[in-house]
Parts: sequence; C-alpha cells; structure tokens
Amino acid sequence: MISHHTISRRKALRVGTSLAVLGALGAPSILHAQTKTLKITTWGGKWGDIMKATVLPAFEKEFKCTVSADQAFPYVPKLQASPRNDPLYDVLHTNSNEQWNSFTEGLVMGKITAKEVPNVADVYAYAVSDKIVGVSIFTSAIGLGYRTDKGLSKPASWKDLADPKLAGVRGGYIIPVNSLGQCHLMMLGKIYGKGLTDLDAAYKALEQLKPIKLVDFTGQMEKMLLSGEVIEGVIHDSGVYRYDGQNQPIDFSSPSEGVLALEQVLNVTPGSKVKELAFAYIDYMLRPDVQKLLAEGVWYSPSNKKVKLDAKYDAKLLTTEAKVATLIQPDWKWYNARKEDIDARVTKILKG
Amino acid sequence: MSAPSQAVANKQPFDIGRAVYLALNLALLAFLLLPIAIVLIFALNPTPYISFPPVGVSLRWFEKFFASPEFMNALFLSLWVAGCVLVLSILIGGACALALARGNLPGRTFLTAFFMSPLMLPAILTGLALFQSYLLVGIGRPVWGLILAHTLVAVPYVIRTTLAVLHNFDRRIEEAAAVLGASPARVFFEVTLPLIRPGVFAGGVFAFIVSFDQFPVSLFLVVPKGETLPVVLFNYMKFDLDGAIAAASMVSILLALSVVLVLERLIGLKAYVKL
Repeated sequence: MISHHTISRRKALRVGTSLAVLGALGAPSILHAQTKTLKITTWGGKWGDIMKATVLPAFEKEFKCTVSADQAFPYVPKLQASPRNDPLYDVLHTNSNEQWNSFTEGLVMGKITAKEVPNVADVYAYAVSDKIVGVSIFTSAIGLGYRTDKGLSKPASWKDLADPKLAGVRGGYIIPVNSLGQCHLMMLGKIYGKGLTDLDAAYKALEQLKPIKLVDFTGQMEKMLLSGEVIEGVIHDSGVYRYDGQNQPIDFSSPSEGVLALEQVLNVTPGSKVKELAFAYIDYMLRPDVQKLLAEGVWYSPSNKKVKLDAKYDAKLLTTEAKVATLIQPDWKWYNARKEDIDARVTKILKG
Repeated sequence: MSAPSQAVANKQPFDIGRAVYLALNLALLAFLLLPIAIVLIFALNPTPYISFPPVGVSLRWFEKFFASPEFMNALFLSLWVAGCVLVLSILIGGACALALARGNLPGRTFLTAFFMSPLMLPAILTGLALFQSYLLVGIGRPVWGLILAHTLVAVPYVIRTTLAVLHNFDRRIEEAAAVLGASPARVFFEVTLPLIRPGVFAGGVFAFIVSFDQFPVSLFLVVPKGETLPVVLFNYMKFDLDGAIAAASMVSILLALSVVLVLERLIGLKAYVKL
C-alpha cells in the first residue's frame, strides 16, 4: 500500500534543489548576521604589529566579529570616495587634523561621549576637548629631538632651534604634508608672535630657520637624527623614546613653552552599519589594559587616567594631570580653513 | 714597412665626435644605473638607517625582508597580479592592435586615441575612478578588480608595440599563404602571429613591469591583508625607514630583470629590436 505521505523521487529532488538554492542565496546574509565585520583604519610599524598580534585578535574573540584593518594610506580620500550610507570604514583612526577635515565634510561624527563609550568618562580632558572631534585615545608630545654626542646642551626652548650653530643640521618637515610641521609653524607664531594663530610672526620665524633639512614623515626624522644628518629637530617624544635601550645618542626635550599634542583620534562614521560594534571598539581601545600594552609598546601617552604604566614609561610619558597640562592643542579647524594659503606661503619660504 | 711605422699608420687620429659620443653614452649609463647601485649599497649597509658612506656589508635587511610575512604576501600578490596582467594585456592588446591595423574600422584614429587614453590620464585618477565605480556597483575591492585596473593601464603598451610591428609587416607573406591554400585561421596562427610575436611580447614585458611596480592605481584598490608590494613599501616607509626598503627594491629590480631575461631567452625579443 502506498501511503499518502510518500514523496516521489522527483518531488524530493525538486524540494531539495529549491532548499539548496534558497540556502545558497541566504548564506551570505546568515553568515553576515553571525559574524559582523568591523572596518577600521590603523597605523603600521610597531603599532600595527601589536594590533595585529594581540589587540585585534582579542577584540575579535571577545565580540565575536572580524576586524578588517586597513593600513594603506590615504584613509580620508578613500573614505571621501566611498558611499556615505555604506562607508569604507566604521572607525577612522587618524591624527586630529585629518579628523577635523573629515568632520567638516560630514564623514565622521562630532563628539563621542561616555554614553556611547563608557571609558570616555576616565579620559583626560584634552582627549575630548573642544579641539577634538571623536576621542583621542593616545597622544605624543611634539618637542625637540637632539643628538647627545655633538656637544649640544639640552634644548630648553623652541627658540633654541634657531641657534646659528644649527644651520644646515636642524630638522623640520615639509609643512603642507606633515602635521608635525604644521604644529611647529603654529608654535612659531606663539613663540615669536601673539599666539598660535599669528601666521605673520610664524612665517618670519620660519625664514630665520633656513637652512633647514626637511622631511615628509616622522620616521625619516628619526633616521636623520640617528644618522647625525640632523642634530636637532622637531619630533614627537615616541619617535625618540622608541630607541630607548638601544644605545643611540639621541634624546628628547620638552621645551619650557610647552609641547604640542599629536593626538591619535578614533571616530565613528555616521553611515556605519555596525555602530554599536564601532563604539565597543573605541571603548575597548580605551581600556586600561589595552592602553598600557600599546603605550609601553610604542611610547604613546595614554588618554585613560586609570592606566598605570611601568616606572620607565611613567617617568617619560604624560601620565599625570600636571604633565598633561603642558600639552598645547592646535585649533585644526582654524588651520584647515587656511591650509591652502599657508601651504603656498611656506612653500615659497622654504623653496630650495 | 717596419713595425713602428705600421703602428703609426694604424693609429686612429683623435676623433672628438666619437669621444663626445662615448662620453654621452657613459653619462647616460651612469644616470640610469647609479640609482640602482646606491640602492644596493643601502641594502647591504648594516646600519638601522640609510646612510652614506656604508660602514660594512650585511645581509640583515634581505633576511628581514624575506622573513616578513607581510612583505612576502605582498611580493607574491604582486607577482600573481602582474602575471595575470601580462596574459590579459597580451590577449586584449594584441587583438586591439590587429583590429586597429587591419580592421578598416570607422573612426580608427579616435579608437587608437581611446585605447591609449589610460596612458594620458594621471594613474591616481584612474585608480580613484575605478575605486568609486567598484563601490558603486557593490563589488568591493576584489583581486580581480585590481587585475582589471592594472590591465587597463598596461594594455596600451601592448597595443603600441604590436602596432609598430604591424606597421612594418609585409602583407604579401599572408597573401602568399592564402593563395597556397591556407585557411584564414592557419594564416593567422602560422604566419601572422609568429611575425608579430616579438612586438606582442615586448608589450607584455612592459605590461608585467607596469603592473608589478604599479602604485597609484593600486593605492585605492588594495584591501587589508591584500596589499601589493609597492603599497606595502610606501606604508612601511612612513613608520620604519630602514634598509629593508632598499632590500625590497633590489628584489623588485632583480625580479623585473629576470622576467625580461627569461622572455628574451624564450621568445627572443632581439628580433623585435631588429624590426
């Protein structure tokens, strides 16, 4: 007897095929629902090594997601070119100047508060000041690096860089392309003029620094100092401290007028499809244990006040309210609005 | 005639034109080869920074380069992409050149200019435009998208070299083959192709090298963990400017040179030079 529930071979094949097709069509979305992907930007070098080896795998494990970390510059043009409702990145990591550019174009959010990222409650004031969009997770101090074997006394002031003895062996940056150079230009306005925005005084002071060796990247300045091609130059503290213990004759000085902040800023893109995960990532990066790992790995000053660094790092990095108070934060919104004119002027001054 | 007097007779008078010619050639060679020599010196210098004069000879930067998974992945990806571009460029560029030279196409001048246009556009714009197009159609940035982008900028080289060969091509040889009973396909494979092969493959060599060294187009189209060697080198340089960069450059130069030599041995590019 044939049961009413008997399924013919042909019918079974038809149903099976239909299910397979549906399964295949639905698979990507099911996978997507199971494993979210967070798209971020991040630095290369030692920072990138620590991120890839330790920080990101731990985050992926904890939040059951995958992180696609882009280390290939330029981040902002790529973000600009991608659709706003499906941006190339969920979290943008850049220095503060580029964050302001991105914010002006609506590519990233404005403020990030403790409501979205609980660890923001524990950061120093500079990390969420009115000079920051997003949140600064670390900072370096921009000051003067110098050779200790060339008979130079430790630079005490930014004015020391203008010492005639340093003609041809002082180092600076190609200002249009390097934010340390841009910071230095503003600092010249403060030292020789009425403040960070006194461009006329800055241009005049820049003229006096010639002849000066100019580089594009901070990595190049490190090597110029190491090779002795430059014996005193503008650099961030981590660019010098990273050679600690390697018997290199270089040191860093924080000028008495203050050091400029080179912030590492994280921000979320408004069109991100995984905003909660993006905020969770920023919160994770602000955790004391993650901050300690990266701070001691690359000599960056952590933003979280609760971080306790080992004595060697604590002695040199900005880890107290008093030390953090020496940081000067440039107004990048102001600078970016004038960048074209500034670029033209400084190029004319430093040409040749 | 005595030996001394014969020597005097054989002695060429000083030719200032020849001396200038030789000096110019030497200067040109130095201009082309000195940068490579300097890169080699930097690659062998053991100091953790690029400096001159070197303080010794060491292979530490080559070891660092070959031991780095990041560099190795990038190197193999670059080779893979360049290999694919070589094949695609030869197929597309060769076919385009034949159509342009033989097709009696309307607007042939316009079409030639059109196919050459990737060479006239700044490559960074080509990369940006393709990046936006890929994102707009929702395909992301797959490796085959990178290969297509490189092919786009490499095809004009194959077209140009193949057109040059076709320009000097004696069509009577093809006609003779046809008169003797060869089919059009047989004429193409046994007469036309062997004769234009040096031009096509010379263009292929250019295509390989253009792809292998391609930076501006790749800049926008590479993905995390899928970066080509020039992009990895650029990013590396921003954080670690040491001899590994020079070692990587030497490896790139040697690889490109090897490809040229292998193709020369296999195909005989000298034949193209003779044309």
